[in-house]
Amino acid sequence: MTTQVTAASASREHRPQVRRRTPHRGAIAALVAPFGVLFALFYLLPIGYAVYQSLLVVERDGTYGEAREVFGGLTQYALVFQNEAFWQSMGRMLLFGIVQVPVMLGLALLFALLLDSSLVKGRRFFRLAFFVPYAVPGVIAAIMWGNLLSPNLSPFKALTRNVDLLGADLVLWSIANVVTWVFVGYNMLIIYSSLLAIPAEIYEAARIDGAGQLRIAWSIKIPLVRPAIVMTAVFSIIGTLQLLAEPQVFQSFSSAVTSNYTPNMTVYATAAIPNTNLAAAISVVLALVTFVLSFSFLRFTQRKAQS
Amino acid sequence: MKHITTVALTALVSSLTLAACSSGAGSTEAAPECAPADGPVTLEFTTWIPGIEDVVAIWNDANPDIQVEVQTGPNGNGGTYQNFFNQIEAGNAPDLGQIEYDAIPNFRVQGGLVDLSGCEEVMAAKDDFVDWTWSQVTLGSEGVYGIPQDSGPMALFYRKDLFEKAGIEVPTTWDEYRAAAEKVRAEGGYITNFSQTDINQFAGFVWQAGGQWFGNDGDAWSVELASDTSVDVADYWQGLLDDDLVATHPAWTDEWNNAYNSGEVWTWVSAVWGANSIASGAPDTAGSWAVAPAPQWNEGDEAAGNWGGSSTAVLTGSDHPYEAAKFALWLNTSEEALTALNAAANLYPATKAGLELPALKEGVDFYGGQAIYDVFADAAQQVVPDFTWGPTMTQTYSDVADGFKSAATGAGTLAEALESGQQKTIDALEAQSIPVAE
Repeated sequence: MTTQVTAASASREHRPQVRRRTPHRGAIAALVAPFGVLFALFYLLPIGYAVYQSLLVVERDGTYGEAREVFGGLTQYALVFQNEAFWQSMGRMLLFGIVQVPVMLGLALLFALLLDSSLVKGRRFFRLAFFVPYAVPGVIAAIMWGNLLSPNLSPFKALTRNVDLLGADLVLWSIANVVTWVFVGYNMLIIYSSLLAIPAEIYEAARIDGAGQLRIAWSIKIPLVRPAIVMTAVFSIIGTLQLLAEPQVFQSFSSAVTSNYTPNMTVYATAAIPNTNLAAAISVVLALVTFVLSFSFLRFTQRKAQS
Repeated sequence: MKHITTVALTALVSSLTLAACSSGAGSTEAAPECAPADGPVTLEFTTWIPGIEDVVAIWNDANPDIQVEVQTGPNGNGGTYQNFFNQIEAGNAPDLGQIEYDAIPNFRVQGGLVDLSGCEEVMAAKDDFVDWTWSQVTLGSEGVYGIPQDSGPMALFYRKDLFEKAGIEVPTTWDEYRAAAEKVRAEGGYITNFSQTDINQFAGFVWQAGGQWFGNDGDAWSVELASDTSVDVADYWQGLLDDDLVATHPAWTDEWNNAYNSGEVWTWVSAVWGANSIASGAPDTAGSWAVAPAPQWNEGDEAAGNWGGSSTAVLTGSDHPYEAAKFALWLNTSEEALTALNAAANLYPATKAGLELPALKEGVDFYGGQAIYDVFADAAQQVVPDFTWGPTMTQTYSDVADGFKSAATGAGTLAEALESGQQKTIDALEAQSIPVAE
């Protein structure tokens, strides 16, 4: 087995030396070009522009003086790091993520395993039923939950009048509930499709060895869908740091959601001033934090997988 | 890998060059030139007035050479201002835009408004407008940065039936209003709902009390959100909050409508356009409401605050300021347009003649047949002139609202919210090099 692999990889390494030129160059370029152009236009260019904007400061004379944009180095970044509310919101999102992401992915995994097991009847129905909330736009979901949780309009007044689910203490978890409701089905589907890709022979072998359903789920299914779980976790970390629509909607239901409740809301509010330079700097910092967090998570899980 | 880096770098560099070319466009204020175009002109007009299409159609039928295309969007702070700022930066703003009085300094600071003082017809119309509305668009300068459209003089909406039944006198001063609030609370209701997010309503209270939030001496802005008058007004409302005399439902929600519709809340000190909000939000209470002058800070005073009101402004980048100004004048001064605007969206005119429109003399069924606009016509004349708005009102509103929300939930006070709003506003100005006097 080992020798075979090395042989194959060795021959792969040798091939380019034998044939110096890549064939079909033009075809490859033509096929990659649409992606390349769109990627540059809608991804690299905006990022480059945001970075450029974040390095400028405005100068003007008098109360209504004309604004001139001049190079200001890291001035805007200094303002970002002094912005207490922004870092508070970052902390709030970390807390949110530490609780919400494991709960959501735990539920998604559980539902996926149930759908995949032979125990459940009506598999198709449940697969659709769990996925339907994802088809509801986030804003609509937030409005619906906002009404369900508000003290006087909720159909569950006995609960909402006594427990202030939109108050300063609990509103973060009410938002977490909306996000979970929307995204459990989506994550479940990713994990479920990865479960379907596991070859039946492995189950057969496990059954011959005497493993029951629980044992198969724990020792075979979960380790094999690990990559899918890691991927959904990375998506969720990114989604958490970029939370915008749900808290924005909850602002009108709850007095506890301020205009800089999440990092993205701060960007939004700053852009509305309009102070595009500062908003750009905040976006860049947010992107870097997101990048660092998701990559450290990937590194962490990879190292764990190796050990 | 190396290839990717080169590609990324090339893209980055080219984006920087592109960006460098585009920056600076649209940041200059046009010199006050106002010459008619040679041929037919098409103007773009962005606004959020419901039913505006029908009003513009009247103009388009009569003026084949100056055609106006209307786009409607969300209200200003709800997104349209953001669009305007982006369009101005990109150099493709509509010729005309609806801009509320409190946002005019913001747009002028960003270089977004065309000075119309070079247009003879505009200058000739000056005396047609209620004085304070004109000073809202001139900003104490020689320039004219918009044509006043409507105004929002404030008065007291109250549940006549409930007051009569409980034997409570209609309050004429804010002291009486508090006394009435205690009686209403004893009846199980709330005298009003204190909105934590309508900071412009609160500004209207400060305005009525003779306070200022901003000053501008030409060299620097002064920020006075936490001035004595402003804090006095805040302390008054804080007292009502502390003693549970006002409800604190989030404004403009179903919860809020429900509070008025169910009779939980008895009054609202609001602008003239609020007549519509009550009628649509609390339909079950038809016929039970009446309007009285707003409570006064000192007995016998006759001061009114203002909440809302817009102008029609010509935005930077317009090629046809002359035609745009001509249309804006027709829209906001002619009797046919004002009547149509009032019919379509209950707009309350900013012109002196407009206050006498036949449509504004009639009794309103929802208010038990009372000719409510008479009360507002008086208030319109009593609005304290020269209230100054700051250059970053969107930010000021949202920061003060954050503080008011905490105060309503018992963390902090309204006065503290003004203090922190003051500091955050100063920070926001300094971040954009807008001079502030400390």
